[in-house]
Amino acid sequence: MAILVDKKSRVMVQGITGGAGKFHAKRMLEYGTNIVGGTSPGKGGTSVEGKPVFDTAFECVKETGADTSVIFLPAPFVKEAAIEAIRAGVKLVVVIPEHIPIQDMMLVRKEAVKHKVTVIGGNTAGIITPGECNIGIMPDIAFAPGRVGTVSRSGSITYYVADTLTRTGYGESTCVGLGGDPVLGSTFDEILWMFEEDEKTRAVVMTGEIGGVYEERAVDAIKKMKTPVIAMIGGIFAPPGKRMGHAGAIVEGKMGTAKEKLEILAAAGAHPAKTFLDIPEILKILKV
Amino acid sequence: MRLYEYEGKELFAKFKIPIPKGKLAQTPEEVEAVVAELKVPVVLKSQVLTGGRGKAGGIKIANSPAEAKNAAQQLLNLKIKGFPVERILVEPKLDIKKEFYIGVTIDRANYKLVVIASGEGGMDIETVAEKSPEKIFKKYYDIDEEMYGFDAIDIAKKIGLGSEQIKEANAIITSLFRFFKKYDAKMAEINPLVLTGEGKLIAADSRVSLDDDAVFRHPEPAEMGIEKRHEEGEMTPREMQAKEWDIPYLDLDGNIGMFPGGAGFGIMGNDFIHYYGGKPANFMDSGGGPTPERLAKMLVLLDENPSVKAIFGARFGGISRCDDFAKGVVMFLKEHGLSKPMVVRMTGNMWQEGVRIFEDAKKENPDNFKNIEFHGIETPIEEIAKRAVELARTAGGR
Repeated sequence: MAILVDKKSRVMVQGITGGAGKFHAKRMLEYGTNIVGGTSPGKGGTSVEGKPVFDTAFECVKETGADTSVIFLPAPFVKEAAIEAIRAGVKLVVVIPEHIPIQDMMLVRKEAVKHKVTVIGGNTAGIITPGECNIGIMPDIAFAPGRVGTVSRSGSITYYVADTLTRTGYGESTCVGLGGDPVLGSTFDEILWMFEEDEKTRAVVMTGEIGGVYEERAVDAIKKMKTPVIAMIGGIFAPPGKRMGHAGAIVEGKMGTAKEKLEILAAAGAHPAKTFLDIPEILKILKV
Repeated sequence: MRLYEYEGKELFAKFKIPIPKGKLAQTPEEVEAVVAELKVPVVLKSQVLTGGRGKAGGIKIANSPAEAKNAAQQLLNLKIKGFPVERILVEPKLDIKKEFYIGVTIDRANYKLVVIASGEGGMDIETVAEKSPEKIFKKYYDIDEEMYGFDAIDIAKKIGLGSEQIKEANAIITSLFRFFKKYDAKMAEINPLVLTGEGKLIAADSRVSLDDDAVFRHPEPAEMGIEKRHEEGEMTPREMQAKEWDIPYLDLDGNIGMFPGGAGFGIMGNDFIHYYGGKPANFMDSGGGPTPERLAKMLVLLDENPSVKAIFGARFGGISRCDDFAKGVVMFLKEHGLSKPMVVRMTGNMWQEGVRIFEDAKKENPDNFKNIEFHGIETPIEEIAKRAVELARTAGGR
């Protein structure tokens, strides 16, 4: 078991003929991800890495039975592509590109909720269930099958956390990149509940950062979950009022400081970690 | 992208939201000429991308063109929270009977648009929310919902507007909502919305922020001269250089040069350095999939910064590949040269190619590499951070 993706996932790559789409489709296939086809309007009937290309997501889903989509398209095209995939009947859409207009993402989210579809991203590194399915751009080397789930705003933080879990023998059940954009398809609490339902996941590491609005939503889930949650928040020493990269990562007054987020999560019952090396120490104490 | 007050007002006017008949000026002489055409007294309002300009002395009242010229001279010498005053909006002084607040923003966590209104205008709305939350009214909307007139009227009544102003208020509030959606705003505030002695409603100030990621689909603001701008006040020369190269960069007050990959670890790595007793000299973000040229420029920024005593490098290749990373570092070593000790960890996508590129370059010129310590996935990143702190110490920094 795992959450969101496994070896049975039938993956469609939207934008499979573009540079990034092609490169990462090849990598995902090499990992063993079950890619069944892709889309590229105007290139229907061709193929990439031996997988059929369709003009539309509707055709791709109909012909291949795809149930998961990963989008490798420029930001202005994401709204259409995601809504098309949702209406075509997939259950999961992973939005890799960054800088999706906020209103577009809000529309996508509304459509997703209506159709009970999960959308991850934008600006996500993707999702991986080690040994089974790697969707997105995550580097294989960091991951190994195991028993800790991870959910993070940032790609590189996901890699470092997984790298640490892999090195210390815990491994990962599933790693979810929530994404770095200001408005995201899914929130921490939603992913935490999925991990709570998953038998294989014995603990969850959630990593957030300054300025995000979704960390606070995790409070209620953490309080009610039986699975322990380890929390880490980046930006404890960030200079206030300065923008640090991610559009979402700007401290707005007192609200959203890293220290405050960590305190709120710890009060809800999460185990705070300062560095990645703290994570295996906490897992040892929790007897995971 | 934050807009200046005058830019926000120009956009409001396109939606028939009433604004004072003002004019923009950039020199004391221009201000004098503008005032000669207006009814005195006038208000001179400094145009800066920050709040609190009133308290900082950024707003002045003048009763004649000569007085206005003098006041303008003072304003143009002013710096408000690091923002130099370069433009002044001149408007006839309003006869204020009462002030209101109307704003539209996004509740990101709950995926809703929210219209906020209050009878306590003119103040910072966050302060009102904190001190007297009962004086704030909110209505939530889905992104694809319209705002009806009856909703606007309900809001107007709640904040204390009377029947005489209801039609006007309806038009203003629904227009603000339409404006917000049409231009992909993140925030649109009228604060204060002034009720004049004559019983008219007028938007006395504007605070508008547009979604940078949606600017591409709005030609109108660009045609009005509204373009991307720096919004964080004064920049250091190095920050300006970085901006020219399109690299997100901030100068900090430490001595460890941070070369951390993406923003996520850029933020976290900064914390790590602090935990191990060091202080970063900067924040930097390579962005997704940087070219070797861009990476080389990032290193130039660090190597040429005299405060930097050691460099902390990290690359966990995802969308940003290790081969490109290695090419960038090698390009920098060849063309510029490294004058400071540097410790780097590189792993992730295409790491084997990255290592090969380094080895080939090292064979060619071992001297270029004398200041670099390389690590791969076997060394925890925490060890790299500790080592950087150590290197900065031994290099003579503190």
